[in-house]
Amino acid sequence: MNRGAPAVSEYGVLLQQVINGLSLGAMYALLALGFTLVYGILELINFAHFNVFMVSSFVGMWALQLLGISGQGQVLTGFALAGALVFAFVATMLAGGVLGVAIERLSLRPLRGVPGTAAMITTIGVSYILFNIILLTVGAGSENYPNPLPVVRWQFGEVTLELKTLLIWGVATVLMIALHLFVNRTRLGKAMRATAQDAEAAQMMGVDVDRVVVTAFFLGSALAGAAALIFGLYYNYTSFIIGYTAGLRAFTAAVLGGIGSVPGAMVGGVLIGLIETLGGQLIAVRWTDVIIFSILILVLVFVPTGLFGRAVPTKS
Amino acid sequence: MAGVGVSKAARGYGFSLARPLARVSPRARARLAVFGVTAAALLFPLVNQNDADIDSAANALAFAALALGLNIVVGFAGLLDLGYAAFFAIGAYTYGAASSWQLQPVWGGFWEPFQWLELVTRFHTAGGDVVHFQVSFWLMLPVAAGVAAFFGVLFGAPTLRLKGDYLAIVTLGFGEIVPIVARNIPSVTNGAMGLNGVAAPRFFGFDFGIDATPYYYVGLALVAFLILTSQRLKDSRIGRAWMAIREDEVAAMAMGVDRVRYKLLAFAIGAAFAGATGTFYVAKLQTATPEMFMFPVSVMILVMVVFGGIGSVWGVVVGALLLQILQSWFLEDLSGWLHSLGRLVGVDWLQHVELASSIELIFGLILVLMMLYRRQGLIPATRRTRTLSLDEQTVQPARSGFTDLAATDHVSPLPLLEISALTVRFGGLVALQSVELSVPAHSVVAVIGPNGSGKSTLFNAITGLVPTDQGTIRFAGAEIGRLRPHQVLERGIARTFQNIRLFPNLSVLENIMVGMHARLATGPVGAVLRLSATRGEEAAARERALEILSLFGNRLLPRAEHPAASLSYANRRRTEIARALAAQPKLLMLDEPTAGMNPAETLELADQIKSLNRQGLTILLIEHKLDVVAMLADKVVVLDHGEKIAEGTPAAVRRDEEVIRAYLGRSAVFA
Repeated sequence: MNRGAPAVSEYGVLLQQVINGLSLGAMYALLALGFTLVYGILELINFAHFNVFMVSSFVGMWALQLLGISGQGQVLTGFALAGALVFAFVATMLAGGVLGVAIERLSLRPLRGVPGTAAMITTIGVSYILFNIILLTVGAGSENYPNPLPVVRWQFGEVTLELKTLLIWGVATVLMIALHLFVNRTRLGKAMRATAQDAEAAQMMGVDVDRVVVTAFFLGSALAGAAALIFGLYYNYTSFIIGYTAGLRAFTAAVLGGIGSVPGAMVGGVLIGLIETLGGQLIAVRWTDVIIFSILILVLVFVPTGLFGRAVPTKS
Repeated sequence: MAGVGVSKAARGYGFSLARPLARVSPRARARLAVFGVTAAALLFPLVNQNDADIDSAANALAFAALALGLNIVVGFAGLLDLGYAAFFAIGAYTYGAASSWQLQPVWGGFWEPFQWLELVTRFHTAGGDVVHFQVSFWLMLPVAAGVAAFFGVLFGAPTLRLKGDYLAIVTLGFGEIVPIVARNIPSVTNGAMGLNGVAAPRFFGFDFGIDATPYYYVGLALVAFLILTSQRLKDSRIGRAWMAIREDEVAAMAMGVDRVRYKLLAFAIGAAFAGATGTFYVAKLQTATPEMFMFPVSVMILVMVVFGGIGSVWGVVVGALLLQILQSWFLEDLSGWLHSLGRLVGVDWLQHVELASSIELIFGLILVLMMLYRRQGLIPATRRTRTLSLDEQTVQPARSGFTDLAATDHVSPLPLLEISALTVRFGGLVALQSVELSVPAHSVVAVIGPNGSGKSTLFNAITGLVPTDQGTIRFAGAEIGRLRPHQVLERGIARTFQNIRLFPNLSVLENIMVGMHARLATGPVGAVLRLSATRGEEAAARERALEILSLFGNRLLPRAEHPAASLSYANRRRTEIARALAAQPKLLMLDEPTAGMNPAETLELADQIKSLNRQGLTILLIEHKLDVVAMLADKVVVLDHGEKIAEGTPAAVRRDEEVIRAYLGRSAVFA
């Protein structure tokens, strides 16, 4: 709120928090899709995803720095801005995707079919490794994120809409539509859906399950990459620590929507974004995490299928 | 440090004493090792008088205690808990609140009896008199354990129905919530600043103060007690029930293990370990901050358990101690050496390497590498078994049935099992439609029917594994249709499964002894105290289990100590039948007992089933081999599409038009 601007009513503040919540929600949704894609196919909670997101945000930072952008001072416009953003998104998503595939190939494929929690424990280990590589090489401080976006604001009554908000909504929408089309309209997408239903039957029908798993990891991690760049552009910083908080919230989003369900992850992400901003506004920011984890626990205990999830088939 | 002493001692024995040691029995060897470890641990502070080292050792012992507690939950009961540090925090703050200046209620007459008990003191301040809590450390050790156990049950209860990975997430959520709450209620915890003025323990007037040695000995006693507790629980009815749940929850329930009760018990005991350790740790540090109990601490304890060996008591202790040695000493020493090397060769960056900060990277690597290459950990929980001699492997199929079998004394003129109008639906699918079935006492009734006709669903409905929609199931005169699986077993119905559900990583003998769960009485307290009554029960159970194994002659007895997973297919079927017999059932339900057996083995088993029936056991049988049915059954019931289409003697059913159409029409021969 600027000085001299008209006093904002409580209603206006809440409306503004809805706008903020939708932005965060778009980011959580992209991140949640990664959990859901992998879980849908392998029934594995991938803790490494937390820090694939974090590492990607550094890759995005380096990509922007490569273009000579540092801090928020160097504003670009027109084609230069579009080019820089496209370059940064492609680089970050590729890096995320490749990292995700590497994790699957090196640490998870050897454990495929091992019963119990071995694979999940491995993903915790991988997450720790990524976390500490960044901590030990980059350091514990937070990094000022290069941001070429001009600060443009539009005032609608009591609500302010920023250019970066529109960018986030736009990118998230485009990526989610693309994912939806991929899953529902392509051959590989059909193979993914079949594998999620019944991996063994899909394999017998000629589906290359390894290829499906790699695709799920690549797509999920690439979306985490996009979410990571969005995080940097939205908050103007990154740090080794961001993966944990954002990752847990996005995971809650995936569970809330119904883990394994693509539309569920999208809706769940938006809901968690709204809960975070409105909860912080209406209750207190210091209780936000307690609210979110309570939702996580309550959903898992009482409606484990979430909003959109299919009933988990029981294997005898 | 205790761990250093251990490894040196072990190595010493290995080299110089190996020859005479070979003649010592494994049991005596184990005792010797325990004695050596204990002596080294007791002598450590006397040998190494460096207070900082003793302090690190005391911290290492605290983490060994935590690893032992997590091992109960993760290792024994197989419940992955990613928020275990929450219980550590609860124990820590329980002691902290009861023995620090944090809570200062206004003084009143209410507090006088507590003052007399020396639990509180009256303290004069400018604003009036207030209460200072000063509850004894020794009293708070069990109290904090109890409080943590209460929260263990509270957090565990909602998670019981969840699958393993969901359970991990819920515990992670609790693990996050507890430190945040601690930070957000500064009136009790002093928030992020940490507790003020936690009292040091006193022992007969001796104040522990800040000297590390007394804490070291308390920590040592705590770890020793927890090792003993863990070992005794593991080798008891309780431990077997936990491991049965870990290995196969459905089979555990069907064999009489109350799943809810034992999972909560694991949560409670694991949490109690952490609660007591929290008290110890806070008394030692004399403060507590929320940061001491965050996710990385839960992960660190998990790393210790994974590294040492999930489910292995000594393994997790060694894992915890090694990782603490690594963290407190080795990485710093190594950094120092690298600095010297850097100075020597003039390389700048080598002089600034700080390896201690990479400990979490090492934790991550340990998790990944252990999972990929050595999932059983440094000291595996299961022992390797010797190979059998040729003699032990030789068996001749016999046609004598069981010869050495005590008769069951159960006599009843009424039908033992009576099912009427039983309907089971799965969503829209009707799996059983108004089925009537009567099993006379001492008879053998066979259920036959094409695949998908509802035979196994019938078994699952009787044993409480699937809920029934309509109808009644009466067993020995009482309705059992609403009972949970373990209660059905307690009433006297034991079963086997079509797809064999043994506990693969338990030994054959342990599998049988899980079957006796409902017939034994030892509780957790009895298991830990191991009084003569408990020892007697355990010895008798073991003897009876061996007796049951010996029914199958040379087939199972030589393999009693082998993991069930290593058995041949036919022997797994036999073990499953033996396990069901161990439950001393009145009604034995066998789901395709001879499936996958060759003709000789099939006839041998059929004779054995017949002999069980001759001894008075009532048997309900699903069987595809119709010659076996004809040989065994007094009565045959035919199911098709969930409905009973025929019932009668094998000969009568053989001639039934509808049966031929439904069943035999698809199979060419009826023997």
